[in-house]
Amino acid sequence: MTLTEFFGRLIAMTRRKRLGQELAEDLEAHIELFARDLIARGETPERAFLTARRQLGNVTRLREDSRDAWGFPSIEAIAQDLRYAFRGLRRNPGFTVTVVMTLALGIGANTAIFGVIDRLMFRPYPYMSEPGTINRVYLESIYRGQPSVNTVFPWRRYLDLERAQSIGTLAAQSESRFAVGRGEETRIRHVMGITSSLVGFFDAPPARGRWFTRTEESDPSIPAVAVLSHSMWTNDFGQEEVLGSLLKIGVTDYTIIGVAPPGLVAAAAGPPPDVFIPIATVPSNVDRWLSNSVNTNYGWEWVQIFVKRNPGVSEEAASIALSDAYRWSRASERSLNAYVTPDSIARPRAIAGPVKQAAGPGGGAQSSIMLWAVGVALIVLIIACANVANLMLARLAVRQREVSIRLAIGVRRRRLVLQFLVEGLVLAALGAIAGLVIAQWGGSLIRLLLLGDSTSFSLANDWRTLGVALICALATTLLTTVGPALSATRADVTTSLKADPRAGGGHRSGAQAALVVVQSALSVLLLVGAGLFVRSFVNARSVALGYDSTPVLDVFPDFRGVQMDSAVVLAERERLLEVARAIPGVESAALVDNPLFATRVFDLRVNGIDSVAALGRFSARIASPEYFDVMQIRIVRGRRFSESDRSGAPLVALVSESMARSLWPGQNPIGQCMRIGGGTLPPAERAPCTEVIGVAENTAQRNITDDPRFMYYMPAAQRWPQNMSRMYLRMASRDLLGARELVRRELSRAMPSDGFVVVRPLQEQVDNQSRSWRLGAVLFASFGALAFVVAVVGLYGVVSYSLAQRRRELAVRVALGARTGDVLRLVLKEGAGLTLIGIAIGVLVALAASSRVQPLLFSISAMDPITYGVAGVSMLLAALAACLFPAVKARKTDPNEALRPE
Amino acid sequence: MAKDPSAPPTAILAGTLDLLILKTLSMGTLHGYGIAQNIHNLSKEALRVEEGSLYPALQRMLVKGWVSAELKRTPTGRQARYYKLTASGRKQLAAEEKSFHESVSATTRVLRSAES
Repeated sequence: MTLTEFFGRLIAMTRRKRLGQELAEDLEAHIELFARDLIARGETPERAFLTARRQLGNVTRLREDSRDAWGFPSIEAIAQDLRYAFRGLRRNPGFTVTVVMTLALGIGANTAIFGVIDRLMFRPYPYMSEPGTINRVYLESIYRGQPSVNTVFPWRRYLDLERAQSIGTLAAQSESRFAVGRGEETRIRHVMGITSSLVGFFDAPPARGRWFTRTEESDPSIPAVAVLSHSMWTNDFGQEEVLGSLLKIGVTDYTIIGVAPPGLVAAAAGPPPDVFIPIATVPSNVDRWLSNSVNTNYGWEWVQIFVKRNPGVSEEAASIALSDAYRWSRASERSLNAYVTPDSIARPRAIAGPVKQAAGPGGGAQSSIMLWAVGVALIVLIIACANVANLMLARLAVRQREVSIRLAIGVRRRRLVLQFLVEGLVLAALGAIAGLVIAQWGGSLIRLLLLGDSTSFSLANDWRTLGVALICALATTLLTTVGPALSATRADVTTSLKADPRAGGGHRSGAQAALVVVQSALSVLLLVGAGLFVRSFVNARSVALGYDSTPVLDVFPDFRGVQMDSAVVLAERERLLEVARAIPGVESAALVDNPLFATRVFDLRVNGIDSVAALGRFSARIASPEYFDVMQIRIVRGRRFSESDRSGAPLVALVSESMARSLWPGQNPIGQCMRIGGGTLPPAERAPCTEVIGVAENTAQRNITDDPRFMYYMPAAQRWPQNMSRMYLRMASRDLLGARELVRRELSRAMPSDGFVVVRPLQEQVDNQSRSWRLGAVLFASFGALAFVVAVVGLYGVVSYSLAQRRRELAVRVALGARTGDVLRLVLKEGAGLTLIGIAIGVLVALAASSRVQPLLFSISAMDPITYGVAGVSMLLAALAACLFPAVKARKTDPNEALRPE
Repeated sequence: MAKDPSAPPTAILAGTLDLLILKTLSMGTLHGYGIAQNIHNLSKEALRVEEGSLYPALQRMLVKGWVSAELKRTPTGRQARYYKLTASGRKQLAAEEKSFHESVSATTRVLRSAES
């Protein structure tokens, strides 16, 4: 468009009315002159004018084509369509709200899931420079016939890999939870140990101060230094000047030398770190003995490894080079420990993979849950689209006459289709806006429920997620509008104009029927999934655990590295136990060796059995005698341990019922001899007899689904009493909220020096066990319910519209004597028929997918007929209800009114 | 008298409508009907311009500044627009004429060589 033309159009736009009049004058003049010529050739005046007018053709189109020159038609047409669309939508608030809400749910669900999955798996870490050249190192080996991928390694492995490769720069990080601060201010924090090389992977100049140097990282004689995260600096220090001040992390005093830029998390797989420290200072915070051997020993796995590839080195080349380095490292490990599996069996290899662990090999439960979530969310979006498309079809069917008239008076088809598209776009845009609101809190909810991550989830400035919302909106517009718009404008003008407007288009289109079928099929699919997961969850929750953990608090006293010999530690623990017993509300208290689902395995020998280990895994729990009271574990035979089973007295143990049955079938287990050895104990064959003094109820302590629950219990007094790392307190009340804080305060006060205690309800550990089923249940049940509602509302809308169109037909039937039942049957037959087809398809798809779902379920078949039946019947009943209401309403129509001419 | 009016007129070549209008106007000021008649007559009644194309084309030329319009009284006594070529319209005509001739001779060359 030239400048002249632009201004010409602009001027014409302002004078449009006058130009229209001038054009009209032109045309009149044209007709008159034409007629004059015809008359001159001998035509009668009437016929001349008639011919001249006919010759002019479709004047509407001529005017519209001419008007295109006055202004900027494509832009104006859209503006006009927008106005028209808004007006139309305002006039049908019911339709608008239904469509917008339906789309909002579909778009919102997908946006939220994408936002979460993008953060989890794809989005590069903040500040990472050249993320394309950086990989996380995964090491894979075959363990017990299964390939197992590891991401956490001994520090020695990192040193080996660094020495044995030349394809890039290696860096390491470790994520730990340490006590940070002093006294009352002490809190457990996320502490990230990093190598100074990892700092170089990021373009993250500190907000204050500086990062640590390579010397500070490796030289133990230099005082330890730390860099605060920006959020900790803000929340705990109010952004005051902190450089140079001391911060106690774990057992060490660190000098704060810097503050990280906001949002820097290094390559954290877990929650965002609160403070960064040189990785070399981590081991001494964990265990003095470990820190002495960390450079030589392969026993402790705690560091994650990253590589920044040199220019020109591909990921494949890096993997190959790192694999060689890994084999070299294993060889050096073998020189220390002959039990390292030979490479021929372990087939070790390294993978330079995605930095985000969730996207890497063996991404774990999180990624598979998220993939399920994506699938389910997409199904919801498809149902929403089907629903909206259906409503659009129904609405267009009602507007068919309007469309035909506009086509007949010469409005171009392209223009009409464009107008419908604009209308669809407006609806999708409204849906997307509402969807973003849903995604905003839905995303936080999903992160909390599915990933246990309570960090905030903000969509502002999140262009990737906003982009996905936009794509969803455009896709829904195309999916829901183009088909209906094309079919509506294709209509044969003459037929639809000739049709009696009062008769309505009696036939529901095939597309509408297909959409109803698709909706109900997908809804049934989700309902079946919801049923299976809810029942798995219920089954998991109703597993008899063999103990009662609900009123129990798990107390972990942290002495923060205060060096005490074992006698002092033992005395301290005994003293704390007495303090705990004196706290109001504490019924009983016991010392326990490990968390609930962490048990030990020893080498076990029993006379008459060649290999006890071949019978299964026998897990040990070491505790003080009150343990059985605290956990309420029933003693089936014999006795529990008592105070007299002390060090020096004959060794005793209790075994679980299943263990007794397995080791001494048909015999009395009481008085039997077990030899317990291995680990730090002398070999089992030389160990003295441990006498079985009682049989306890089976308890779930490996995991809640464990079968056959081979457990045995040994008194703390006879086995490492100083290693009883925690206390279990049974509270009088099941309401632990207040008790938890009371216990924490009382015991923290009783701790020596900077020590403190961590108090958690034991039930949390039990609940974590059923987490995956809870996730599945929440995911499928919420989305299933959503899909179900959307599908039913859709069916209701379609039936209502179809009945509104058939009002006259039904009125005629009633006038001719059809009874209520006949009318209802007519309507229900149609709706139920389609739904039944949908249900059948949904059930077939669910059955086809059942083998993939089975491993995710607990104690229920993925083909469980009851679940399928309930899902199918509820869908059918809901569909019947959705048909029934409009049908009853239709039946109430007064034939007189419906048949009266307009 | 003209040939049988029911005989189908020869179609106007795509893209040549503007050229025909400009050429007609280069011979004098005309109203819409006059332009259509002139093209009809000058083509020995072979070409007939559709009114549905003629008037929109004239509006386009007006905003592009190739033609200008002034109101005059027609022989039937009605005020209607008479169109006149502007300087930039003349330039446009020259350019379109040139490219038309080039295109025709090129097309003709192709047709001839294909025949021989």
